[in-house]
Amino acid sequence: MHQINKLVYYFAILLIILSINFFLPRVMPGDPLSYLSDPGADMPARMTEEKRELLLEYYGLDKPISEQYISYMVGIIHGDLGWSIYYGAPVLEVILGRLKWTLLLVGTSTAIHVPLGILLGATSAWARGKKKDTGLLISILSISSFPSFFLGILLVIFFGIKLDLFPINGAQTAFATYSSPFGKIFDILHHLVLPATTLVISHIGGTYLLMRNSMLGVLGEDYIMTARAKGLSEQYILHRHALMNALLPIVTMTAMTVGFLIMGTIFVETVFAYPGIGNLLYNAVLYRDYPLLQGIFLFMTIAIVGANFIADTIYVRLDPRVKNE
Amino acid sequence: MKKTVLILAVLLCSVAFSASVLAENDRVAATSDKTVRMAGGTPGGSDWGYPSPFTFYPRGPGYARMSLLFDTLTWKDANGVIPALADGWKVSDDGKDWTFYLDRNARWHDGTSFTADDVKFTFEYMKDHKGGFKWFDATSYIDSVDVVDAHTVVIHLSDPVASFLVDIAGNVPMLPEHIWKDVSDPLTFKDDDAVIGTGPMKLVDYDSATGVYQYEANHDYYDGKLLVDKFISREVSDTASALQTGDVDEVSFWGSEITAVQTFESDPDFEIKAGPSFWVLQTIFNCEKYPNNDREFRQAIAYGIDRDKIVSQVLHDGGEPANTGIMHPDSIWYNPDCTAYEYDTDTADEILDSLGFVDTDGNGIRNYPDGAERSGDITFDLYTTGKYNREAELIQADLATIGIKINVKTSDWGTIDGYLRSANFDMVISGHGGIANPQIMRIPDWPASTYQNSEYDSTYAAQEVEMDLDTRKELVNQLQEMVADDLPVYTLYHPYMWCVYDPKVLDTWFYTRDGVSIGIPLELNKLVFLARYGDANENGKINMQDVTKIERMILELDDETDMADANQNGKINMQDVTHVELTILGRAPIRTR
Repeated sequence: MHQINKLVYYFAILLIILSINFFLPRVMPGDPLSYLSDPGADMPARMTEEKRELLLEYYGLDKPISEQYISYMVGIIHGDLGWSIYYGAPVLEVILGRLKWTLLLVGTSTAIHVPLGILLGATSAWARGKKKDTGLLISILSISSFPSFFLGILLVIFFGIKLDLFPINGAQTAFATYSSPFGKIFDILHHLVLPATTLVISHIGGTYLLMRNSMLGVLGEDYIMTARAKGLSEQYILHRHALMNALLPIVTMTAMTVGFLIMGTIFVETVFAYPGIGNLLYNAVLYRDYPLLQGIFLFMTIAIVGANFIADTIYVRLDPRVKNE
Repeated sequence: MKKTVLILAVLLCSVAFSASVLAENDRVAATSDKTVRMAGGTPGGSDWGYPSPFTFYPRGPGYARMSLLFDTLTWKDANGVIPALADGWKVSDDGKDWTFYLDRNARWHDGTSFTADDVKFTFEYMKDHKGGFKWFDATSYIDSVDVVDAHTVVIHLSDPVASFLVDIAGNVPMLPEHIWKDVSDPLTFKDDDAVIGTGPMKLVDYDSATGVYQYEANHDYYDGKLLVDKFISREVSDTASALQTGDVDEVSFWGSEITAVQTFESDPDFEIKAGPSFWVLQTIFNCEKYPNNDREFRQAIAYGIDRDKIVSQVLHDGGEPANTGIMHPDSIWYNPDCTAYEYDTDTADEILDSLGFVDTDGNGIRNYPDGAERSGDITFDLYTTGKYNREAELIQADLATIGIKINVKTSDWGTIDGYLRSANFDMVISGHGGIANPQIMRIPDWPASTYQNSEYDSTYAAQEVEMDLDTRKELVNQLQEMVADDLPVYTLYHPYMWCVYDPKVLDTWFYTRDGVSIGIPLELNKLVFLARYGDANENGKINMQDVTKIERMILELDDETDMADANQNGKINMQDVTHVELTILGRAPIRTR
């Protein structure tokens, strides 16, 4: 009975989110054909009323909203996200083409900044009040407090232009032919270094601070004192008792910020001309591309729910008490 | 702990270093062909769609990328209209029947010959798929198309179209019948076959996500020799630094970016060409809503806006105050005699006083007269996109001086377009391109959709069918004067444009007369990559050096080449010299048989 309730609950949530995804873009003023007359373009297309009506009919936007809603829902059930009006391609294709780059970028930087933040946070807390702690605290907070685009520009100037060590535009070399399959991988990694570094630096502060605070809280707990009283080694206490318990809030935070991380790369995408989902969402809003907006929102929903699911799983392993509850 | 960090750092550095070395080696291996790379835009604005005629995003840069693959009957160079797929043409006296003599050597990229049937098919296909060619609907003008023989075609129009050679012949891309006849939905057709044209380039790769276009030269091109082997348009984060680091060979700048252009002026590695943007920023008035429905009120506002200050403070003088009659000063349609509203707050005050807008409550803001549609202080909203926020703020300050209170509201274009379409606004700042072609002034397509003037509409209709250029210019002049006097919009400025390039890679960049095709202000004209017939020394430019070269061939001092045969009659003689000289003067005769 409990299981069925939970299922109904999830289904209701999904239905509400999908409906919001459908209606939210449509309550904004303007419509998907507005972009055709966008003055940001140096040459707007000529748009007669007749052509407008033909296009509205072609994209099914002339139908009553209830009919559009039903065909949207039916489409989703069939796994069909529709056709992007601006990009003139299937929504799924448009999103996946960019999502792979975002996942590479966000995945790499998360894989570095989370462990590194944990490591540094734990070190700091363990050495609380000592020079090591103060030094780490001041240095990490000061570099992490730069806005990510500013940090990106600094990296571009020093490592891209002055030292000419890393490419500063794009995710791979255009028109390059590679002598070996590794050549392509190295080319992509080479392009990844600066954007990923920017993300690592700008996100490490949060992880570090949270880890440090969480660790400090744990270190004050009675069981740590008990462990010490038992005569366990400091290393053992750090790893088995303190670290594991202090990790819990980090897991929650990482899961909660996944959605933000994926969309929040827009500044880094812009500074390094790195392809990704951030600029896509921005354009989709700007051009009122309803099907594309719905698609991106759906992917975000999946990403956030997925991250929470993973967090729950990890939680159970870190803290078996959760399972019993 | 320290050790771990150290190891991690060393590991990262070594990966990065080996990656950079390997990538460097790979790139050296890839540069045996002559490749030109241009900055196609910044993130979010470098993807212009799959370059088939039906799937490019209907914007100037999208059309330009498509036009490298697909040719039109005519085209434009720095001086004006030139032959493309049509070698020559003639028009009947009533302006309704256009005969085109097609190039006999033109072939599609798959080797099939281009014939008159393809021309007929193209116009009929566009008629069957109305609205599919989002860029421009040509079919409403075309009555029928007759094939006379394989290389002669007559296009019959329902009414004369004065701008036919530019707007239709120089704009509608020709489609291969053998491919498109089986395509039922052109908007979703994206096979490799969808980009088979007759153009000087073939598409190798396109990636929407990274905004990269890769083309290779069509070395069998019928209308000249290709100067490059490969062309890439790619996304960059910052155009100036991308050019400096050598990531691209050509970039373009616009308006206030003049400061970036100035850094290249003293650099001997780069050259700069300046051109007109054919773009105008304007304040659009709602002519249906009080108080902007009063012409004199709009004129008072015009006197109250200091356009010179906007140009110097926002554009850093990277532009000029605009023609109040819309058409760009560098276009053949420019009317220099439109009313210029010199900044003068006294005149503005006088007009407002005489209209009864007086500051009765002494708070510094004028009040609406008693019994008017609105009451209290004169205050209304000015909508603009974030891009023109500074212009809006300067106007806000200027109008405060003459006692009008403006609230600046920033929004995105979709929202503003919604207000414009429903006539639910007071004032909007927005701009558009295409002001080298009078078709932009058509109401209600033009932003001033609330402007109602039957004389304007009839004059617009008259110039559309006027085949005599001087008479047509006179009509377009009248349209501009009406706009300048009635002020449905008050123009602010025309930005300048520049392209900066590495001349060692390619030095043939130029700006097209009145813009590429129907008026796109880009330096991406396919002719940039071509040495055309008459370019005897094949350097991509037709100038007096070519005249000398042809004369040397006639005197048998040099070996004859195909390229010297400027008029394509199979002989190299003094007629070719004359042809080249006329080309230099911008008066090349259209080749006819």
